[in-house]
Amino acid sequence: MKHQAIKMHASDDVATALTDLSAGDTIHVELADQAMDVSLVEDIEFAHKFALHDIAEGQDILKFGLPIGKALVPIKAGAWVHVHNCRSIHFGFHREQYGLKA
Amino acid sequence: MEILGFLRPDGQVGIRNKVAVIYTVHCSMVVASKIQRMFPENTQLFGYPGGCALRDGPVNKIVELAKHSQFGAALVVGLGCEGAEAHMIAERIAESGKPVEAIKINEEDGDIRTIEKGMRLMMQFIQHTSMAERVKMTPADLIVGAECGGSDATSGLASNPTVGAAADLLIRDGGTYMFSETSELLGCADALAARAINAEVAADIRAAIEEAEKASFAHGRFSWGYGNILGGLTSIEEKSYGALAKSGTTPLQGVLRTFRKPDRPGLWIQVGEPASGTFSGDPEGINQFAACGSHLAMFTTGCGSTTGGLIPVIKVIGNVRRPGLIRDNADLDTRPIINGEQSVEEMGQQLYDEILAVAAGKLTKAEVLQHYEA
Repeated sequence: MKHQAIKMHASDDVATALTDLSAGDTIHVELADQAMDVSLVEDIEFAHKFALHDIAEGQDILKFGLPIGKALVPIKAGAWVHVHNCRSIHFGFHREQYGLKA
Repeated sequence: MEILGFLRPDGQVGIRNKVAVIYTVHCSMVVASKIQRMFPENTQLFGYPGGCALRDGPVNKIVELAKHSQFGAALVVGLGCEGAEAHMIAERIAESGKPVEAIKINEEDGDIRTIEKGMRLMMQFIQHTSMAERVKMTPADLIVGAECGGSDATSGLASNPTVGAAADLLIRDGGTYMFSETSELLGCADALAARAINAEVAADIRAAIEEAEKASFAHGRFSWGYGNILGGLTSIEEKSYGALAKSGTTPLQGVLRTFRKPDRPGLWIQVGEPASGTFSGDPEGINQFAACGSHLAMFTTGCGSTTGGLIPVIKVIGNVRRPGLIRDNADLDTRPIINGEQSVEEMGQQLYDEILAVAAGKLTKAEVLQHYEA
């Protein structure tokens, strides 16, 4: 496979895995004329996201060029980004409603 | 590629050439269906499967569907006591200039006479429709809709962005494009308002999404569940942005609140008239696009909806776990994006080419498989 992850928009903080990826893998991420290499610090499942660079606590996390949530803690480049460290801005209560543990 | 459309009396140009058979109440559905099935080629059955009361939303919808550019003529079949009165509906359809007749089971004195009269009218309509003048069409003449149904992770990552890229190309060439499902756009109000061409349109889209959000809270039903979280979606916003990817990048021209054609080319968001859904769900969404003048629609799916509608439906699928579904039902396979072999831009061009091919006469798989859900 030519690409292992997809970045949707130039300003995104995350890329999404196109296949199951492993901690320690170096992932080459391209979009138009931008390219970068990211070392994964955790396993990332198909369709799950990882940080392309360090993200500060409280920062809006962008995907599709738009905020999908706020970082609950500082997030390192190559780390898994999901409900345990990223909270929906407007609809956060749904995490509790579905009983998901971080 | 040359697109030759079918010219109608009101100046509309269609990409398909059929006769409509319409039932005005549940009670006339069987008789209407029997008439339509006597002429299985190039005829379509639809109508209002409700009861006695006259409801504006559904009636407006079936009138606009009958006035659609793909129909050369229309037969309206009623029982005789219902509120959605057949002659009234036929008069409204006749504003399009196409031949229309209404028949009622009660007036004809029973099923058999109604079917006999209906068949003779259908013969005239079919012959008339076959003589429609052919005229050249360009992408600027096309109105295209798009919706998602049975979505999965591949919808937001591959299929919807591909639809957005194709929409951008259509709009670049002067075409008109619409999508819908405001309940799947929760969290997108700011992003869409920012693209609105003026303050009024910005306010319109904010109001439409707020209504959908209020309804979701009121019913306690969001398009969101544990399966989404397991599948990698972190927030409702992220899911909505995946749906929003169908919108491409062009400015938002307006929100369609009634069943009418957009005033000008470009991107539109369609919100149906209240309580106008008939059988509801994905085919209903396609048919609402048709009621707003759409010639055809793109439909992305992951889990695998195979439905069509009254207009041609181009199915866009990227689910790597469903090769059989893709082989049999997909018109565009977006697995190359998931497999990292092709870009969204490349696949968007392929999808745009497919839109033009379908407009020029290529049948979609849904059409070949007779998925004319109404």
